[in-house]
Amino acid sequence: MTITNPIPDPHPADDDLALEIADLERRLAAAKAKLTPKHTSLSLTPPPISTTANHFLLLLSDSALPLGSFAFSSGLESYLAHHKSNHHTRTTPSFTSFLPLSISSYASTTLPFALAAYRDPSTENLVRLDDALDATIICTVGRRASVAQGRALLSIWERSLAGALPGEKGDGLKGFSVILKASIAAGREDGEPPPASAHLAPLFGAIGRLAGLSLEQTAYVFMLGHVKALVSAAVRAGMFGPYQAQKTLAGETVQGLINAALAREWETPVEKAGQCVPVMDLWFGRHEVLYSRIFNS
Amino acid sequence: MNSPFPKSSSTPGEGLIVARLLPDGATSGLSAITYQYPLKLITPSRPSETRSALVFLLSYGGGLVGGDTVNLKVDVQAGARLSMVTQGHTKVFKSPSPDILTSQTMRVDIAPDAALCLLPDPVQPFEDSVYEQTQIFRLETGASLCLLDWVTQGRTARGEDWSFVRWVGRNEVWSAPGGTKAGGRLLMRDAAILDSRQYDHQPQMRSLRQSMHAMGVVGTLVLRGPLTETLGEFFLAEFAALPRLGARDFRSDEARTKDEEGLSPLQRWRVQRLAMEKESKLLWSAANVRGCVVVKFGAPAVEHGRVWIGSMLAREGSILQNFGDHALMCVK
Repeated sequence: MTITNPIPDPHPADDDLALEIADLERRLAAAKAKLTPKHTSLSLTPPPISTTANHFLLLLSDSALPLGSFAFSSGLESYLAHHKSNHHTRTTPSFTSFLPLSISSYASTTLPFALAAYRDPSTENLVRLDDALDATIICTVGRRASVAQGRALLSIWERSLAGALPGEKGDGLKGFSVILKASIAAGREDGEPPPASAHLAPLFGAIGRLAGLSLEQTAYVFMLGHVKALVSAAVRAGMFGPYQAQKTLAGETVQGLINAALAREWETPVEKAGQCVPVMDLWFGRHEVLYSRIFNS
Repeated sequence: MNSPFPKSSSTPGEGLIVARLLPDGATSGLSAITYQYPLKLITPSRPSETRSALVFLLSYGGGLVGGDTVNLKVDVQAGARLSMVTQGHTKVFKSPSPDILTSQTMRVDIAPDAALCLLPDPVQPFEDSVYEQTQIFRLETGASLCLLDWVTQGRTARGEDWSFVRWVGRNEVWSAPGGTKAGGRLLMRDAAILDSRQYDHQPQMRSLRQSMHAMGVVGTLVLRGPLTETLGEFFLAEFAALPRLGARDFRSDEARTKDEEGLSPLQRWRVQRLAMEKESKLLWSAANVRGCVVVKFGAPAVEHGRVWIGSMLAREGSILQNFGDHALMCVK
């Protein structure tokens, strides 16, 4: 690529023209110089603050984050099977009616635990939250889904993410991980519940905090992750295709539902978390009695 | 003039029940039963059953009026057995405004080898009612609990269908091996938060009624401890034996009749019960949550829910055996 030289053409016949061009170029340069200070904000040099947080925001919201979320349908498969078997007559199954219930139910049962872990990610608090959440997940299928994803997230944190963050961050998670490993190794012969199970919600909250995300971002990504898993399950269950899936994800409905759920649960203490869609517990719990299953929940 | 009755220092809605093992070492009795309006507790003066002490949980006027607060403390002492029942649905009347809460709180301590069987009628929240119920059970070593908590859609004859403002039910089971004063560990927390206001201004959320998916009653049965062990196993086994949803029966009518001839009494009962579940569109599930067996069920008609839970408890038989017939009067 060549750069135009501003030196005037030496041809004598064009002297006047050359002078005019030189004058215009000088004025242009002067005008540009005046303009430059206002444009420093458009400089291509990235601002140093919060890029790590943005980077981790994208990583944690990525569908490729290997939590195995694709294996769980959060009751959607069971919901469909129950409607096909004509257990209900008043409603026809549709994703449009399942989605708001699922978001609302997931937020009311689980989101307060993610928020509480973000607000205090100490080992002591993580163990307390994990134990309390373990006591509130009433069905076997839901517990399996939450623990499988929680343990996957903790492994990703330990093996892949923690090392990329500077400083001595993650002490709370380190301590939690030690207790979890001891708990798995010890087994549960005395019939007492294990001291730690590693459920997804509190670990997600703690990791959001350590990765520098804001509380709003952490909570939003947590809920969006649920919706993405649900939409992907709907595609795999043949309810609609990939374009409809993206349309659903992009739509105002999903944004509105997530924002409403965040607003509703923002101040909910974990002791007051609970199920707001009781029939969801039945669909979840009865996933085990489906004849054919493509999902683990 | 001095009143012949002892002065009551308790506040409205407060109550206390203390059940203990009588000196004969076999029967249970009450060493205390006190209550204040609007709570009312009754125990039969000449109990027909001796396997457990019986208390009726009642309220004046047959229900709770907007703003009522009931606070009941129950102490089941070592080795004692207590059954608690109601007389008809616990009605929750409308609140004058959504910020006036009607509430019931029950704190139960169950000592070693003691047992509580709480099989009440369902709560029936009326239109515009605002209700919150908290039940906390602390179980020492070897203590047993059978707890049923269920709620209905309201007065169907008046067209009510989950028409209340808010209904919250919370049940917690704690293990307190070091005694009920020494804290303990939360084993199970089951909470339902049904709030019609969360559906306001959100067209995509439809309504509370629609979120209930045609269920007229939803309930939870919680079992823990040695006296409910066989019952818990029974529910888990029956759940595991449920026919697979979406499976097809390829047998001919003759083959099916022939198969049914060779069935055991339990299997025959199960066939009938499954037919009833299908007919009444009843859904249920059972799971072991940290040593508690938690059974969830829902049915479009309240009476079908009652018949179902009653038939399960009657078939297994250990509630009758351990607490006597009177413990089951609300689920018949």
